[in-house]
Amino acid sequence: MKTSRRDFLKTGLALAATVSAGRFTRALAADAPAAPRTILAAVRDGSRTAMLDRALAELGGLGQFVHPGQTVLIKPNIGWDVAPDLGANTHPELVGHLVKLCRDAGAKSVSVFDHTCDQWQRCYANSGIEPAVREAGGIVVTGDDHALYRTVEIPRGVKLKSAEVHQLVLDSEVFINVPVLKHHSGSLMTGAAKNLMGVVWDRRFYHRNDLHQCIADFLTFRKPDLNIVDAYHPMVRNGPRGRAADDVVELRSLLASTDIVAVDTAAARLLSQNPADIRHIGLAAAHGVGTSNLDSLDIRRVKLA
Amino acid sequence: MRRWLKPLRVAIALVFLGVLTAAFLDFRGLVPARLAHAFAAVQIGPAALAATAGAVLGGVALAVILVVTLLFGRVYCSVICPLGILQDVIARLRHRRSRVLRFSAGNKLLRYGVLAGALLAVGLGATGAAFTLLDPYSHFGRIVATLGRSALVFGNNALVPVAQALGGQAIYRVPPPAPSLGLVLFALGAAITVTALALWRSRIYCNTVCPVGTALGLLSRASAFRLTIDQTACTKCTDCLRACKAQCIDLRTGDIDASRCVSCANCLGACQHGGIAYRFAWRRTPRAPDSQRRAFVASALLLPPLAALPSAAPKPRRAPVAPPGAQNVDRLLDRCTGCQLCVTACPTQVLQPSVFDYGWFGFAKPHLDFGRAFCNFDCLRCGEVCPTGAITPLALADKRLTSVGTAKFERSRCIVETDGTDCAACSEHCPTKAVNTVPFRDNLRLPEVKEDLCIGCGACEFACPVRPQRAITVTARATHTRAAKAVEAKPQLPKPVGDFPF
Ligand code: SF4
Ligand code: SF4
Repeated sequence: MKTSRRDFLKTGLALAATVSAGRFTRALAADAPAAPRTILAAVRDGSRTAMLDRALAELGGLGQFVHPGQTVLIKPNIGWDVAPDLGANTHPELVGHLVKLCRDAGAKSVSVFDHTCDQWQRCYANSGIEPAVREAGGIVVTGDDHALYRTVEIPRGVKLKSAEVHQLVLDSEVFINVPVLKHHSGSLMTGAAKNLMGVVWDRRFYHRNDLHQCIADFLTFRKPDLNIVDAYHPMVRNGPRGRAADDVVELRSLLASTDIVAVDTAAARLLSQNPADIRHIGLAAAHGVGTSNLDSLDIRRVKLA
Repeated sequence: MRRWLKPLRVAIALVFLGVLTAAFLDFRGLVPARLAHAFAAVQIGPAALAATAGAVLGGVALAVILVVTLLFGRVYCSVICPLGILQDVIARLRHRRSRVLRFSAGNKLLRYGVLAGALLAVGLGATGAAFTLLDPYSHFGRIVATLGRSALVFGNNALVPVAQALGGQAIYRVPPPAPSLGLVLFALGAAITVTALALWRSRIYCNTVCPVGTALGLLSRASAFRLTIDQTACTKCTDCLRACKAQCIDLRTGDIDASRCVSCANCLGACQHGGIAYRFAWRRTPRAPDSQRRAFVASALLLPPLAALPSAAPKPRRAPVAPPGAQNVDRLLDRCTGCQLCVTACPTQVLQPSVFDYGWFGFAKPHLDFGRAFCNFDCLRCGEVCPTGAITPLALADKRLTSVGTAKFERSRCIVETDGTDCAACSEHCPTKAVNTVPFRDNLRLPEVKEDLCIGCGACEFACPVRPQRAITVTARATHTRAAKAVEAKPQLPKPVGDFPF
């Protein structure tokens, strides 16, 4: 069968139009007189999956972020070899559900990894995340293989000027950050920005060279396209590893936003912390990668119960 | 019976060899701990050690082995001992049926000398060292773990890029083992010796060097059923000699040396004339002057005492940390045979064989190497697999409170002090929160150690980024203790409840 040049051009243009439609409309909207403010979805008192569904609906649907045929990276916190009820890792139910939603949105592949603190196979298995991801049709990839990391420059970094970053971060088209919210004995809080320490090879470098500055610096290199904070039962002491199940309190909350600084600012408040005390929030805002001024946001507060 | 005895023996032997080889090669934790433990714990060396510590499996295994030996001779050496079976495999590489190993009288002085030396060492309190040097199962373990497993891991890692290029996740890189040179040389020496001897004269290692073989041989001389040659049926065709790997059939006298026969039953099947059979032998007991016993006693007297050795050991940089369940260092050194089963089973690879960290007598015995990794809070595998009881199995609740060392914090080296920035890598990793942080200067948090909560897992030392000397290090406890259990009230809900604080 022969295709005429005109047919070929037509289909090509049509395809290009579909692909860029999303971006195009958003750009148009930005130019509109009353520029819509960034949305921060804050949902309470539902199941993890229901809260995620609602938050995504507030943000305009997952289709805003994941287009058919794209490769998606989901980065939960799988740092510790503990059971889900200790709250040290993102809850497997939430991760599994998100993987499924991405698949339903037509993602070509959905990969999940973390550069764990405890032994990785045990973390992946005992956090419940590996089975949940597999079941939902995602792929779990090791973060414990130096060969999977590539060195990148971070020109705007103050302390972190280059880093070895996992190739999934560099190569995936969509990057969704899904931290669990918890107390941290060093940085006071683990939220969305701190969770990204798990995508670099040399975590010790951060600890050695001003932890907070490095956390903020990384964001100038790559911000996730979407941040979803699991605050269903945040760990409020003995973090980030936690010691017992009663280190967590049941808050039944979930936050989601494209603005990583905003989401962490709100998350700090959930933990009864003053965001100003958590240095990396301020440093990230100073880098201009997001805002810690919650008043400038379009906050969608939703109570499901 | 003639026909099926050998296939049966081969089948069981291959199961033992297969499972134990897999257990020592296992770098992905695929072999269940119970299975590895069961096959190792019925080996005579570990069984004997475990039995003295009151282990049921060890006691039963030991009793069964002794009874079987008293009934049928050294079946153990042909069926259960992995080093023995390995020699059969190696020997097959060389001589097929055609090669005849003629009867050899055996070197009694060497045989009984080694056995006497081993017993003497045990008598002098160097039990662990004697088993480490002489127990055949432990030699097998070190050969497979140190040489085979390392090779396998390098092979695996070399294949990873290929697998990844094809988009597969099934093969992944594992940290390459780094056995110290001393251990590699030792395992290599054992491997070369065993291989050379097996190629040269098949089971000569078992019959001349191995003290377990010699001890079982002494028992076999009095066993109830023995392979015996029926002189009336025997045509001296030498078919049995071709089949015998122990060189214990003397066709001139028509005798089979029960002390060196490994009861492999090869000759049974090989004899076309029905000349060899198991016969009840307890009726007649010709107790001729006992040259073997005399050699044994003589060699025992000839042996120089080993007692002077320990003080000459090179000094380790710092005291090694014994794994939880070892209870105390002396006990570990006494009971551990250095087989490396725990080392291969350890998922984080924090457990490493020492060379001289524990002194001479601690050669090849496990210690926690916090430069490599740290002891996983919820992991019990080393105690689960250890066949000798050197690392006693712990319940998880006990393991979590077993203190093998104490963390020492050196504030003057800590980043929070020297750089004035937050770090807390140590407290982040600490599973018991023995290292926690306290407010320090302006909005910083400085680590603080509560020694009574510390279990010495090494997570803090491993995580501390300060170099060359870390700011927090774990000091070994020669005798393990029980850590205190922190009690905390239920935490308060962050306010406001049921609403959004923003
Ligand atoms: S060794 Fe370090 S990490 Fe382990 S319990 Fe002690 S203080 Fe905590
Ligand atoms: S890990 Fe080392 S440098 Fe960091 S806070 Fe702990 S002791 Fe200090």
